[in-house]
Amino acid sequence: MTRHHPDSLSLMEYSAGNLSDPHALCIRLHLERCPQCRSRVDTLDSLGAVMMDHQPKVSVADTSFDQLMARIDNTPEPSPEAVARPKVDPLMKLLGQDINDLPWKRQLADVSVLDISDKFPGQNERVVLQKLVSGGKAPAHTHRGDETTIVLQGAFSDQNGVFNQWDFVVLNEEDEHRPVAVGCEDCITLSVLSAPLKLTGTFTRLLNPFLR
Amino acid sequence: MMTTSHANTMTVKERPVSPLDKQPEKAEKRRDPWGVLLEKVGKNQDREAYRQLFEHFAPQVKYYAISNGIANLAEELVQEVFVSIWRRSCLYDWRKAAASTWIFTIARNQRIDMLRKMQRTSAEMAVETEDLWQIPGENEDEPVTSLHRLMSERRVRESLSHLPEEQITVIAKVYMEHKSHQMVADELDIPLGTVKSRVRLALNKLRVILQDQNV
Ligand SMILES: [Zn+2]
Repeated sequence: MTRHHPDSLSLMEYSAGNLSDPHALCIRLHLERCPQCRSRVDTLDSLGAVMMDHQPKVSVADTSFDQLMARIDNTPEPSPEAVARPKVDPLMKLLGQDINDLPWKRQLADVSVLDISDKFPGQNERVVLQKLVSGGKAPAHTHRGDETTIVLQGAFSDQNGVFNQWDFVVLNEEDEHRPVAVGCEDCITLSVLSAPLKLTGTFTRLLNPFLR
Repeated sequence: MMTTSHANTMTVKERPVSPLDKQPEKAEKRRDPWGVLLEKVGKNQDREAYRQLFEHFAPQVKYYAISNGIANLAEELVQEVFVSIWRRSCLYDWRKAAASTWIFTIARNQRIDMLRKMQRTSAEMAVETEDLWQIPGENEDEPVTSLHRLMSERRVRESLSHLPEEQITVIAKVYMEHKSHQMVADELDIPLGTVKSRVRLALNKLRVILQDQNV
């Protein structure tokens, strides 16, 4: 399993632009708060540049440059503000409101979920927000396939340690855990699931959003 | 916005431990020629500098499109990438990235954007390509990391020349053909574990992997 930071292979897939939108979102949210991983991605982007240079070159059409200049001359320059792009919070842009105000569906006393897969049209993965109330416990469960999770708010702990806001964790079928929300805020996570959760406790039908 | 000398002074004080960073006063001399041209475009809309960048990088971008399976859109991708370079050149800062690295990220984002527009279903996604793929903080002054960024391309280029061909082949498929590690394994008919270990060995040499706790 991967804990706290994405592993280098995932960062490489991000740098190469090969991840699905939900996975890219998880990495992007982590990078915003992790200078260490940002620096690793910088190096990986340089690797991309060097690979591009290392490959064969293909001549462009003779008219290509003139066409380009004509396009530049004939299109009004965008405003400097439009070029610089304001810093956006991709999660806010995606959800349109604060994560605490979403129409959460309570599944257990301590656990609420919200399936946001429909925000990613054309993707095959399930994308789920989960909320564990402060001090709350989730039932023991394992994971089928790889489940990538990023902590958006608060923190949770399990036998592997404490996962704080913007921490990254990848779990699979070998990782059975019983997360507990620690700290005074509700713990909200974003998970990208390649396959449904598999519950191991007695609450078999409850946490799992796909067995309703 | 900090001046060049300012940022360098700060970098000296808080320099990263990498041995290549021991002589930051020489950074100015190590400026890559493409970065100099790119700054001319950004500051003065210098068309001759822009043409030189085009002659060097356009054939790379065209191959990038072809290897990514969009040969029919290769000329279009070149156009989109270079319009973007022209418009964004005023944001380019040689202290933050080598020109080729900066251009690679633009080519990658434009490639993703182009594929996304082609596959667009009736429902549109609220977030744009750059919201997901542009590294946050890129437009900020981060003097501590700027020299590290500047050096990393040189270091990667040098390290790559020492890597075995089998590692370069795998990395090339990931970067140039947007193949997942699983797809590379299927295509080369080798186990996924072998692909991953080749990548890890390479990233180890490139010192990307240092902070991985779980491998
Ligand atoms: Zn990190």
